[in-house]
Amino acid sequence: MEKNKEFRHYLIGFVLATVLTIIPFTLVATVGGKITFFVLILCAILQLIVHLRFFLHLAFKGQQREDLQLVLFTGLILLIMVGGSIWVLGDIYNRM
Amino acid sequence: MSSSTRQSLHPGLNLGEEHGDDHLEAETSVFGFWVFMMSDLVTFGMFFAVFATTMPLPCCPGPKELFDLGSVAWQTAFLLASSLTSGMAILTLKQEHAAQGACTKKLVFWLLVTVLLGCGFLYREISDFISMAAAGGPPTRSGYLSALWSLVGLHGLHVTGGLIWCLVIVAGILVRGVDLRWKLTLLRWAVFWHFLDVVWIAIFSFIFLGGLL
Repeated sequence: MEKNKEFRHYLIGFVLATVLTIIPFTLVATVGGKITFFVLILCAILQLIVHLRFFLHLAFKGQQREDLQLVLFTGLILLIMVGGSIWVLGDIYNRM
Repeated sequence: MSSSTRQSLHPGLNLGEEHGDDHLEAETSVFGFWVFMMSDLVTFGMFFAVFATTMPLPCCPGPKELFDLGSVAWQTAFLLASSLTSGMAILTLKQEHAAQGACTKKLVFWLLVTVLLGCGFLYREISDFISMAAAGGPPTRSGYLSALWSLVGLHGLHVTGGLIWCLVIVAGILVRGVDLRWKLTLLRWAVFWHFLDVVWIAIFSFIFLGGLL
């Protein structure tokens, strides 16, 4: 039972990831425009969660807290450094 | 049943309690590898930041002339499929190699399929690089192109490294069998390989699809 469950877990992840890949590719190839851009971002974030959950097996429960803190802290660093760079340079660009 | 309720010490991939002491050993060493992986993620993040602050210049060909949507779709498919097959390898390791001396055929099979898919990815990526250079978009042409080549190239280098690593593991388990050392190496490699697919999601979404919008 346990073995089948783990196998199914990978399969569910693969199917979800495939769907979340096909949607943005099809939209960019056919529709385009601003709404597509938002769908693109949404699909990317959802697929990121699918990969972390089903392939890398990260979960909110059943684990000690330090690992979650590691991932969240890296997220914070990225937010400050990447978001900050884009913000500062975007601001300078607008002043030119 | 008890294994589903037990507390796992560290995130993600593990061996399971059937592996005894190896399981405990894996929990800490894989966590250590996660720390490295997260710092690597920051590196990728900074390359993304550089890319996001550059833009295609009118002098040179832009995304519409340089990117091939079909080829990017193929690369995505290769990488996603290889993520699944590497998962199958880890599942085989977890379920069939608790005792030493188990048959390694299935494990080696999944690892080699993963290598093949990874080579398919690299083949498409390199031919894209060649056609981009031919279409007047070599990395030296503009800041935007430098950022593009270094970010996608950095990911490609990681994939190349991952493939070599995988072949070393295959050789290792064929020679020495699936002992503790190779179990831990396999888990670390699997974290690395899944992680590369995660980075690829960001690359195809924001650079290729976002560029073509």
